Amino acid sequence: MRARVVVTLCVVVAVLLAGVPWIASPATIEFGINMLLLAALAQSWNIIGGYTGYPSFGNSVFYGLGSYGTAVAMLSWQLPFGVGLVVGAVIAVVFALLLGRAVLRLRGHYFAICTLGVAEVMTAIVSNLEITGRNQGLVLPLLKGNVLFYELSLALVVVATLVVWWIARSRFGFGLVAIRENEEAAASMGVDTTRYKIFAFAISAAIGAVAGGIHAYWITFIDPVSAFDIGLNVKMIIMAVFGGPGSILGPVVGAFVLSAISEVLSSEISTVAGLFFGIVIVVAVVFMPRGIADLLRRFHTYRWRYFAANVRATRV
Amino acid sequence: MNLLWQGIVNGVLLGGLYALMALGLALVWGVLNIVNLAHGALIMLGGYVCYYLFTGAHIDPFVALPITAAVLFVVGYAIQRRLLNLVIRAPMFNTLLITFGLDVVLTYAAQIAFSADFRTVNPSYAGANFSLLGATVPVVRLLAFVIALALTFGLWLFLTRTPLGRAIRATSQNLVAARLYGVEPRRIYALTFGIGAALAGAAGALYGVVSQLNPYIGTSLTAKSFVIAIIGGLSNPLGVIVGGLVLGLVESMTSLYIGATYTNVASFGILVLVLIVRPTGLLGRTA
Repeated sequence: MRARVVVTLCVVVAVLLAGVPWIASPATIEFGINMLLLAALAQSWNIIGGYTGYPSFGNSVFYGLGSYGTAVAMLSWQLPFGVGLVVGAVIAVVFALLLGRAVLRLRGHYFAICTLGVAEVMTAIVSNLEITGRNQGLVLPLLKGNVLFYELSLALVVVATLVVWWIARSRFGFGLVAIRENEEAAASMGVDTTRYKIFAFAISAAIGAVAGGIHAYWITFIDPVSAFDIGLNVKMIIMAVFGGPGSILGPVVGAFVLSAISEVLSSEISTVAGLFFGIVIVVAVVFMPRGIADLLRRFHTYRWRYFAANVRATRV
Repeated sequence: MNLLWQGIVNGVLLGGLYALMALGLALVWGVLNIVNLAHGALIMLGGYVCYYLFTGAHIDPFVALPITAAVLFVVGYAIQRRLLNLVIRAPMFNTLLITFGLDVVLTYAAQIAFSADFRTVNPSYAGANFSLLGATVPVVRLLAFVIALALTFGLWLFLTRTPLGRAIRATSQNLVAARLYGVEPRRIYALTFGIGAALAGAAGALYGVVSQLNPYIGTSLTAKSFVIAIIGGLSNPLGVIVGGLVLGLVESMTSLYIGATYTNVASFGILVLVLIVRPTGLLGRTA
């Protein structure tokens, strides 16, 4: 019964969001595109980081490959935007399959740092290649269609959430959660851990790449530093963890809430907005380490003791 | 040949400073199992403390270095005692995130307090150098190198030869057993993080002398410290010296023979390869 309420609510919110461009100002639509793309990215990170428990810092690489794949397909090969998105996604998936084989053997911090290293290497490689415009980047044709980009971003969030929803209730998803909780035990129960992890990595890559492609054509300009920005990867992690990693809606809610907070802060008190954002992260990790999803689930039984209980559970 | 020799000298001198930068990160990581993403920001903070001691109180940067380290020790002790001890048993995502939050806070606080302008600690002897078999050796870089090595060796002696150092190592190896022998983990953790921050402060003071400071240098310094800690392994401070020298030489050789834009490919490429081939570091046993 409760599940049906939540599903209905989600459909209503999605329909309402789809109607926003017809009543909102251009600035609001731009904010909306950014927010929705971040939500899609947080959701893509959720698959490998939240469900599988592999804290990837390489998802910005998939985003960057998607941006550049789309841009190169449109500029060098004269392909339409839709095909460009597919090209970007295919490049990212192939990269994820190859990379995953090597790096998904590492655990914990080592996996995190290795993917961070891959992101740095990719930035440097792309800024030295001729076809990607070296350091100067690429300029895409201008398309005045913020509404189109908004609806595309929204569609991507919906698709990503549906994928996560499928994962959460499929045999595949149970396998991923088992890997997160105890990889040896999962393997001994017959989960093909290598194949599951690589598959999760590839799905994550596809979603991230499409987000990158949409962003590239919307902004009409990409360069290596911003396309492969590790800061973006950190944002994905923060939003997913703030919302609730390993939950279906948590990352989307986290992305919406944090985007809104940072937008309000930067317009109201721009000089200390960054400072405040840092404090929000610190306080959230201390008092609600399992995110908004967990807070909503348990607050009515624990009440205000919820926050104290969280601190007690992790302090020394 | 001459160019190669100069490149080696530059790489080795740079590597010593790199080792000192990574030392605190490796110590905190090894003992507390926290990868401190705010480590570079602490280095940056140390640079500014030294800068203001030099320009404000006219204290020679090499004299200001111990004062800087002491200030950063207090900062680090307080951060661990008041904040990080609250989340020390949380999953690694959370400690990673909270130190990232700290990094953001320190960076923006520095931007507000010190402005975004480039600063450099510039004593009268900054340009002095001498020639070693045909290669130019800047005196301040050599001094920074010697101090970095001395501090690394000092930390190794401290960890292996003093009761407090043994308590720190015991805590990192087996918390329960260490507690049974009367070690108070809250204090040990705070001390360890304080020492890590003090080393970052010392590195920052030296960095301010040989290079330029601004509030945003933290992130790339954290990344480099990572690479070094990984190459050297976490079990032994002396491994970090090797890691620092490897990275310094690789960067120097890459910019000499392939091009300065490829230094990141080389250094992070090494990181990725080392991790895939030998996840415990080139010298380390287990982390």
